[in-house]
Amino acid sequence: MINRKSIIAVLLLLTAVITFFLLPGDEKKIRSNLSSLADYCSTPQQEPMLEALKKASLTAKLCAIPCRVSIDSLDLDRDLSQKEISNHLLMMKKQMVATRFTFHDITVQITGRQAAISTTLRLKGNTMNGRFTDAYEFDIRAVKTDGKWLFSSFHVVEFMER
Amino acid sequence: MRPLPLRKFFLPSLTRAFLLRVLLLSISCLLIFNYLLIPLRIQGQSMEPTYRDNSFAFCWRLQYLFSKPARSDVVTLRYAGRKVMLLKRIIALAGDTVAFRKGILFVNGQRTPEPYVRYTSNWDLSERTIKPGHVYVVGDNRNTIMSRHRFGQIPVNRIIGGVIP
Repeated sequence: MINRKSIIAVLLLLTAVITFFLLPGDEKKIRSNLSSLADYCSTPQQEPMLEALKKASLTAKLCAIPCRVSIDSLDLDRDLSQKEISNHLLMMKKQMVATRFTFHDITVQITGRQAAISTTLRLKGNTMNGRFTDAYEFDIRAVKTDGKWLFSSFHVVEFMER
Repeated sequence: MRPLPLRKFFLPSLTRAFLLRVLLLSISCLLIFNYLLIPLRIQGQSMEPTYRDNSFAFCWRLQYLFSKPARSDVVTLRYAGRKVMLLKRIIALAGDTVAFRKGILFVNGQRTPEPYVRYTSNWDLSERTIKPGHVYVVGDNRNTIMSRHRFGQIPVNRIIGGVIP
């Protein structure tokens, strides 16, 4: 009897664990999108042009139309279309050879069909001037459209003021 | 006291006391290295030669529990969390004025020696006053173009702790 009870308990626990890990919740979907975004933005040592174009297009598809991008240090604060996002990414990929993008310290707050994400983007790689590492804090917004979470704005948090 | 046989040391019997010791040690390590003494792997050259690229240090979170950040302190600054941090040196405090003239630091109008700086620079930065609740931080490596170096005043609440060693 005890054995049967233990087996049921273990099975229930396993079901709960499997459900937790396999069923994609909203937060999981957003985190997965961030991970995809990092992969698409990363550039291996010798990336074929076709691969870069594909990644740029996939990146744009992760973003809502339009998508607000604000980076004070670049004097950029406007809505970008998917085409513009693709073009910016392709330009960036050309300048940053062998660069890896990774997101760390991700916190997601979901309110209805909107989400606020706070994260640190870490860049590691090479430019034409040599090896570099850098990091930026991002405030990202996402909206749920037709069951898909799309990034609607990216804002670089500039906490250092000269 | 007889020395512990090697076999017993490496393959101890799994008694309740032993398991409890392992559990307590694991919890202590988790707490210490997650919240008090955070291991840092330094990446980048902005603090050279004090901290070299790929070197190792610890962030001591209790450094400013009973004291305030002071000039010359090396501090860790947070971004969105504690996984990726920025390592910089405080050169001026709230209310101070700071300027660079041909690479030489001037705090409150006085030429300030920086023994930790090895590489000379020709940085020029006009005088500015540090806002209340802020400190001014710079990296030790001035061997880069000023526009490429990340430095400036930051809110004190961005400071996570000091650095050991």
